[in-house]
Amino acid sequence: MSTSGRSTETVIEIRNLSKVYRDFWGRPKVKALNALSLDVRKGEVFGLLGPNGSGKTTTLKLLLGLLFPTEGEITILGRSAADVAKNERIGYLPEESYLYRFLNAYETLDFYGRLFDMPASQRKERSEKLLDLVKLAPQARHRQLKEYSKGMTRRIGVAQALINDPDLVMLDEPTSGLDPLGNRDMKDLILDLKKQGKTVLMCSHLLADVQDVCDRIAILYGGELKVMGRVDELLKAQDETQILSSKLSDEAIRDIEAVLKKHGADMLKVDQPTANLEDLFLKTVQESRDRPGHRTVKDGAAS
Amino acid sequence: MSFDPQDMPVFDAIVYWMVVVGVLSIIVMVVSLLSLLVSHRGAGLRIFAEEILRSLTDLFSLSIRRIWALSKLTFIEAYRRKALAVFVVFALLFMFAGWFMGGDTRDMTTDQVKVYVSFVLRTIAWLTLPLIVVLSSFGIPEEIRVRSLHTVVTKPARRLEIVLGRVFGFSMIGTLVLLVMSGVGYIWIVRQVPASARDMLVCRVPVYGKLQFLDRAGNPADKGVNVGDLWEFRSYIEGATKARAIWVFPGIGERTLDSDGNLHLENQFLAFRSYKGNMKQSLLYDYQFRNPDTGATYTTEARPINENRGVTDVISRKLVSRTDGKTYDLIKDFVARDGTLRIEVSCIDREQYLGMARPDLFIRKPDVSFAVGFFKAAAGIEIMMILVVLLAVTGSTFLKGPIATVLTSVLMILGGEKAHAFMDQLMIGRSDKGGFQGGGFFESIYRIITHMNPTTELPDNMGFTIMTGVDGLLTGFLWLCKQVIPRLQYFNMSEYVSNGFDVPFGSTLLPCLLILVGYFLPCVMLGYFALRIRELESK
Repeated sequence: MSTSGRSTETVIEIRNLSKVYRDFWGRPKVKALNALSLDVRKGEVFGLLGPNGSGKTTTLKLLLGLLFPTEGEITILGRSAADVAKNERIGYLPEESYLYRFLNAYETLDFYGRLFDMPASQRKERSEKLLDLVKLAPQARHRQLKEYSKGMTRRIGVAQALINDPDLVMLDEPTSGLDPLGNRDMKDLILDLKKQGKTVLMCSHLLADVQDVCDRIAILYGGELKVMGRVDELLKAQDETQILSSKLSDEAIRDIEAVLKKHGADMLKVDQPTANLEDLFLKTVQESRDRPGHRTVKDGAAS
Repeated sequence: MSFDPQDMPVFDAIVYWMVVVGVLSIIVMVVSLLSLLVSHRGAGLRIFAEEILRSLTDLFSLSIRRIWALSKLTFIEAYRRKALAVFVVFALLFMFAGWFMGGDTRDMTTDQVKVYVSFVLRTIAWLTLPLIVVLSSFGIPEEIRVRSLHTVVTKPARRLEIVLGRVFGFSMIGTLVLLVMSGVGYIWIVRQVPASARDMLVCRVPVYGKLQFLDRAGNPADKGVNVGDLWEFRSYIEGATKARAIWVFPGIGERTLDSDGNLHLENQFLAFRSYKGNMKQSLLYDYQFRNPDTGATYTTEARPINENRGVTDVISRKLVSRTDGKTYDLIKDFVARDGTLRIEVSCIDREQYLGMARPDLFIRKPDVSFAVGFFKAAAGIEIMMILVVLLAVTGSTFLKGPIATVLTSVLMILGGEKAHAFMDQLMIGRSDKGGFQGGGFFESIYRIITHMNPTTELPDNMGFTIMTGVDGLLTGFLWLCKQVIPRLQYFNMSEYVSNGFDVPFGSTLLPCLLILVGYFLPCVMLGYFALRIRELESK
């Protein structure tokens, strides 16, 4: 650990990683990744951002050994990406939940648990715990996955990724297909994993989600690393200052503006802070559960 | 019966297998190393060594629990995808088969029983194998297509475990199908055959001997007389001469006799008449028991042959000589110290000939239940089914589902007896007589273009030496290809059961098991490497 409290122990080390997709004849078709170098440290939530085709999913697949690098080296948890033994400590949630559609939730988790050589009692205990954690309704647990909604499939996908209590969790578009409630649950889960000391690597193009949970991010474009750093530092507006106070009168605002002018600064914006839409949605759902029949309509009428 | 069951020379087979697998492994290793050296230059050797090391690590890190998980998954997948709907076809066939095959059951003949048994065993094989080929060929490619395999390979599951899990899983579903079909098929046969004809449902247990000949002057000979048959399966002994067909049966003892202490000899000799003679009377033969250790001999009375149905001779253990009245004990006096029994057959009729081959005379041990033979034949289908699963799964690790299906089907077709015989001639370029006809690929093209007779010697110069050398390499490569195609004729055991024989272990079940084991290791390793070097997410 460094003196600032941030871990310096590297969990993922990528050096000069390139990936070229070739056609049937071996001719280069697309350069998906170009000389990417980055580190992911222990205990942090790291976000890979970028538009479609930027190379973030390719990076994830290279890390998992689903693709082979054209050039460069990858070390995960001290092992090569080609070493299957590294998977003992990794959990992976693919972009789509590519699970076995003919299994039910219990069978799915039992199957993946067996792949980790877990004994029956441990598999059973862990399955129950994870199904509760991802909030999969008890009545749905015995149904085959082909009958699940996208959100439910995502939940069971998360559960299978955590079956081995991994040290490193890789999430590919973790919030895709989730409703706002599920989205919030997923973000809470990621933060919870961080609290437990797990390392999380996620890629997403939902920027708000990344901003909410990630410690550090890397932005890829055209297969190249463009920006990397701590989220709070990257988003900080260096030439502006924000002061948040309880509600002020118009007179007090004018006084403050005078003080700012005296110090050679301009007041750029005076506003009341608003909650984001996600917070409003969650609040409404919670109220609807607590007070059935209650309705709030802002354009005039309330009941 | 025209088949000639021979015990498998296990040691020779293992040596042969090692040669083929060894040569193929060396070729694969050399090609892999060269391609790595070309693509990665100096690092190629290091990568090659790392891959070998990693493969060995994978081999020693296999987990039974993971393999079982993958097998169970495969089984559940096939089951829930309605693979067992094949039973509907099976049920339909058996519901109506009786209409077309029944005939008059009160007057059932051996041939009718034979048809029933053949029908059941062939139906089981023809329904099970295509189902298994399709399931096994599409398993892994489909998982790669829908990407469910991604969630497996990102767990600590080794590629080898994935291949093994698939092989075992599909074998399990095939076994279930086979067990149910065999059980129903057996019951169907027993119900179709009326009580009056049940004695035809029997499994004779033959003991085959080694056959040698004496010529008309009593001198040892490799073969008997050829009476002009193109088919040289049988050869003939001349009547009223010193010509003999001598069988030496191994492992003879008390247990060879029936409960009454009699020895059952069953034969089906053929007659060749050099003159018409008395056509109302069959040719006659006799047996002579001879102990090579003591020189004791006993000759039976003359007996008529039955060319159509064969003859079962019951020889009493207690033998009384018709010439000197001396009494012999068949086991004590004629079984040699090495446990063999020597029986000489002679033809009695002057200038007439008796034709015989090795399986035409055998000692019939006490029969076993028809069920034993029937389920042994089903076991043959089972072993073939597992082999087919192995081939299909291996193919599916580097091919798409439809192509893997076609590949497996082609291998099954080429695995037939006739296809193998044809390949022997086509690839090796040898005639039945052992000589070369027209040379190899390039030489034969040269001869065709220049209208050169196949028997004409090629000119002796560098160009032709290179050409024949390249032909030799091609022939060697084709020879290797031929060895890769399994000989599936061994797995068809319905002939035995439908002809009322037990399925012999040494000449039938053992070769099948060894073939399966022989294919298992190379196929699984090939599948493993194919999955290892394959980018599952490749675009």
